Amino acid sequence: MQYMLLIFEDEQAYSQQPALQDVVAQHMKLAAEMREKGVFVSGAGLQPSQTATTVRTAGAAKTVHDGPYPETREQLGGYYLVDVPDLDAALAWAKRIPVVDGGSIEVRPLIVH
Amino acid sequence: MTDGAADLDRAVRDAGGRILAALVARFRDLDLAEEAFAFACAAAAEAWRRDGPPRDPAAWLYAAGRRRGLDLIRRAKVRGAYRPDDPEPVPTPEEAAMARLEPIPDERLRLIFACCHPALAPEARIALTLRVICGLSVERLARAFLVGETAMIQRLTRAKQKIRAANIPFEVPGPEAWGERLEAVLAALEIAYAQAYEDAAGAGEGAEFAEETLRLSGVLVDLLPAEPEVLGLAALIRLAEARRGARLGAEGEMVPLTEQDPALWDAGMLGEAASLLGSAAALRRTGPYQILAAIHAAHASRRETGETPWADIVVLYDALVMMRPSAVVEVNRAVALEHVAGPDVALEALVAANAEGRLDDHAPYHAALGRVCAEAGRRDEARAALQRALDLVRTPAERRFLERRLAELG
Repeated sequence: MQYMLLIFEDEQAYSQQPALQDVVAQHMKLAAEMREKGVFVSGAGLQPSQTATTVRTAGAAKTVHDGPYPETREQLGGYYLVDVPDLDAALAWAKRIPVVDGGSIEVRPLIVH
Repeated sequence: MTDGAADLDRAVRDAGGRILAALVARFRDLDLAEEAFAFACAAAAEAWRRDGPPRDPAAWLYAAGRRRGLDLIRRAKVRGAYRPDDPEPVPTPEEAAMARLEPIPDERLRLIFACCHPALAPEARIALTLRVICGLSVERLARAFLVGETAMIQRLTRAKQKIRAANIPFEVPGPEAWGERLEAVLAALEIAYAQAYEDAAGAGEGAEFAEETLRLSGVLVDLLPAEPEVLGLAALIRLAEARRGARLGAEGEMVPLTEQDPALWDAGMLGEAASLLGSAAALRRTGPYQILAAIHAAHASRRETGETPWADIVVLYDALVMMRPSAVVEVNRAVALEHVAGPDVALEALVAANAEGRLDDHAPYHAALGRVCAEAGRRDEARAALQRALDLVRTPAERRFLERRLAELG
């Protein structure tokens, strides 16, 4: 069963280069272990939310806006897609994802077709 | 009630949770298992009335449920070819005999851990557990949790959907998650019991509901006899339940623990609790439920000694505050402190407990404040506090108690 592990955290924490390098190294290590255990499907980090553009829909109109949706203190910063037997296994991986204090990982099963 | 119906009633009550858990473990689908079990019960009602009860009713129900479950799966796979007048699957005598030889596997623990998974909404966990393990009806659950039946059905349905959609496993968690998961199970049980215990007059529905949580705590002890906190919570529930008969005065007023007649406490239940606590202590891993139970046991010792060991109780509360800090525990500690160090010290502790104002709407806090102020000779403050407590409580027994206290103040 596939689960998306969505990483939400305050991206300000990574404005300093050393902090960013450190967390990237941790992610690389974790992803390597996921690959080794055969649970890694895909994963990526996202560029900061200031690079985001949002397409909004209202009736027939689609309008393009600067910035992410919605505006919160925590931003979607990256994700892992893992293939594991059950929620407990997905949660065990989620707990190992490096996040800054106050950040969170949302674990969502994918729709099975 | 015919013999068949009485047998069915007993089999469902004694083995229903076990049968359902075994079906869930087999089919990995709570809804399917419930449907199959309900069908087995309906088939039993008819067959047992006609032919008399089988030698092993539980095995019969399990076999019928298993067969129905397989049948439902087969039908789902060939949904196009579904015919509603298919012959109804009832276990053949051979099948029932086979089931008798092969004991129903006890999968209740796996089911309890799934139902109390922290990924489920806290208010759904115990309702779902009581539904599937104790077979409580939606109607009774709705009454116990003070919500409408529709809301309760929604709550249960949402939880079951999440178990299925997110693939919450029907497994006893491994050591890495054990602490968190067992805590969730115990907390669910504690909340359920507190709900049943809240109203001192809880004679009818409340008492019945308390009985179910009492039973469930016993099931957990059978399943996890080496977990001291499981034993501690079971002891705690028994100690509280033992006092049920002494909690209500002649005029329907709540009688506080310290004024209860120990002769009215249930000796058998107290004995059971003592032996549970003894077994827990032998495991040498203390925890908040054992400490709480020890506090209740200290109160119960008044039955033998005629005196409450207040100094011991304060020490136990000190330990509890360290393990599980909470403003409510601080209030109880302050009340015990009054008997050891006097009302002025207790008053100071009470005020400190509510330093952040979190207890402003907590009736027991104001009741305690009223008592301690009265002892300290501060009658106006006592009256104000008791009046505030009275504004906050809804149950008649507690109201009568507070009214009496107010009248005593003059």
